Amino acid sequence: MELFSKMTDKISFLFIEGFRNLWRHKLTAFTSIFSVFLALLLVGILFIIGQNSHYPIEYFRSKYKIEVFFENNILNVGESEIIKNIRNFPEVRSVTPISKKDAVRIFKNQFGEDVIEMLGYNPLPSSAVVNIIKEGFEKINIAPLIEKINSINGVDSVHYQGWLINRIEKIYQLFLQGLKIAIVLIIIFSIIIISNTIKLTIYSRKDLIKTLDLIGATKFFIKVPFIFEGILQSFIGAVLAVSLIFGLMKLGNNYLTQVSSIEIIWNFYFGIILFTLSILIGFIGSYRAVSKFL
Amino acid sequence: MISFKEVSIHFKNEIGVKDVTFEIGSDEFIFLIGPTGSGKTTLMRLVYMDLFPDEGVITVCGFDSKSIKKRKIPLLRRKIGMIFQDYNLLTDRNVLENVALPLHMEGIKRIEIYERVLLILDDLGLKETEKKMLWELSGGEQQRVCVARALVKNPEVILADEPTGNLDPIAALDLVQLLEEVNKEGTTVLMASHNYNLIKNRSHRILELQNGVIQ
Repeated sequence: MELFSKMTDKISFLFIEGFRNLWRHKLTAFTSIFSVFLALLLVGILFIIGQNSHYPIEYFRSKYKIEVFFENNILNVGESEIIKNIRNFPEVRSVTPISKKDAVRIFKNQFGEDVIEMLGYNPLPSSAVVNIIKEGFEKINIAPLIEKINSINGVDSVHYQGWLINRIEKIYQLFLQGLKIAIVLIIIFSIIIISNTIKLTIYSRKDLIKTLDLIGATKFFIKVPFIFEGILQSFIGAVLAVSLIFGLMKLGNNYLTQVSSIEIIWNFYFGIILFTLSILIGFIGSYRAVSKFL
Repeated sequence: MISFKEVSIHFKNEIGVKDVTFEIGSDEFIFLIGPTGSGKTTLMRLVYMDLFPDEGVITVCGFDSKSIKKRKIPLLRRKIGMIFQDYNLLTDRNVLENVALPLHMEGIKRIEIYERVLLILDDLGLKETEKKMLWELSGGEQQRVCVARALVKNPEVILADEPTGNLDPIAALDLVQLLEEVNKEGTTVLMASHNYNLIKNRSHRILELQNGVIQ
C-alpha cells in the first residue's frame, strides 16, 4: 500500500512537472506549439479541400448530357419502355423525354426556323436526355452506360460529350491523387519539423537532464515530464489548429449559405485524427530526444 | 563505505587513475588533494559510477562496480549527496524546488517534503529563500543550496568535488566547517580540493593524487 502511494505521488509529481515546464520555458514551448499549429493547420486545410472537392466536379457532372435518339417508327409505348429501362440503370440520375413536338420547338428556339414549315413534315426524332449520377469521388466511366443504352431495341443513336467527360474525370482523379500525395508528404514533413522542434527544446536543457541523472533520478523520472511536455505542446497546437479551421469553416458557411446551396463539410473523425496525430508526434519526438541524452 | 581495490582507468591519450587502492570507513572525513589534472574528478566520477574502471573493483555503499546493473545506479546515487564546484542546480526552478528534488524521487509526500526542505534551509542559514530563483542568490548561497540538496535525503556519503572553487575564502571556510559538522553527525565525507591552505591544520585523513596515482 505504501509502495503504491509512493508510486502515485511520484507519478503525479512528474505530470505536474510536465505542466510546469511549459510555463518555465515559455519561449521554447511557444515555438513548439506554433510549429505544431502551422503544420496541422496546413494538413487540415488540405483535408477539407479534399473533402469538399466534390462540389466543382458535381457541378461539371450535372452538365454531362447523353442524348438518346429513338428510331422513327417507334411508338409512344415503346419510348416509355426504353425510358423506364434507362432510368433503372444505376449510373442514371434522371431521364427527360423530348417528344417530336418538343424537338420542333427546340429547333425553332435554337435556329429560328420552323422545320415543319420548311419541309412540310417533322423529320426530327423523339429523344431523351440522360443525366448521370454526379456524386462520388470515383472516376465516372461513361462507356459501359453508352453501350448498355445502345443495345436497347428502339434506340437509334446515342450522342454524348465523350472526350470532354473523360478529360474532366481524368483531371479530377489526378487532382485527388495529387492531393492525397500532398497530404501524406505534409504529414511526413510535419512530423519531422515538429519532432526536431521538440528535440531542440529538449537539447537546450541537456545540462538539466545530466544533473537529474547525477543526483539519482531514474530514466523514467527524467523522461516522463519531458514526454508529457511534448504531448501537451502538440495537443495545444492541435486544439488551436482545429479551432481555427472550425471557426473559418463556420464563417465560410455563414457566407456561402447566403449566396448558394454549398456548405463546407467537416468530418468529425478528421478532428480525432488530427488530435491523435499530434499526440503521437509529441510523444515520439520528445521520447527520442530525451532518450538521446540518457 | 567506499573501497577501491587496484583501480585503474585509461582515457585516449592519458591515464585517469592508476592502481588506486584505499578504503574509507563510515563517519570518516577525507580530503582528496592534488593539483589540477591529477585525477581528483575522475576518482569522484568513479565513486558515483559515472565512469567504470578498466581494472580493479570499486565498492560504494554496498554496490560494486563489477556487478551493478545500469538501472541500479540511481539507487546508489540516492545514497550519495553530491556537491559540485559549479553547483549543478536547476536554474529554471526556485530554491525549494531544487532542494526538494531528491525527496520527490523517493516518492515522499508533499507535506513532508516541504517540512524537511524548510528545516534544512533554516539549518544552513537560508531561511526565507525558498521562493527565490537561483540568480537572486550569491555564489556562497547557491553553494549552500547545493549542500542542502545533498543533505536533505540523509545520505550515507557526501562527495564534494572542489566545492570551494567558486567561493571567497570566508565562504570557503564556512563550507568546510559545515561539512565537518555534517560528518560529526555520522555522514562520510570525501572532499576534493586543490586549495592546500584550506586543508592544512585540519585533523582529517588526506589522500594525495599525483598524475592519477595515490601518493
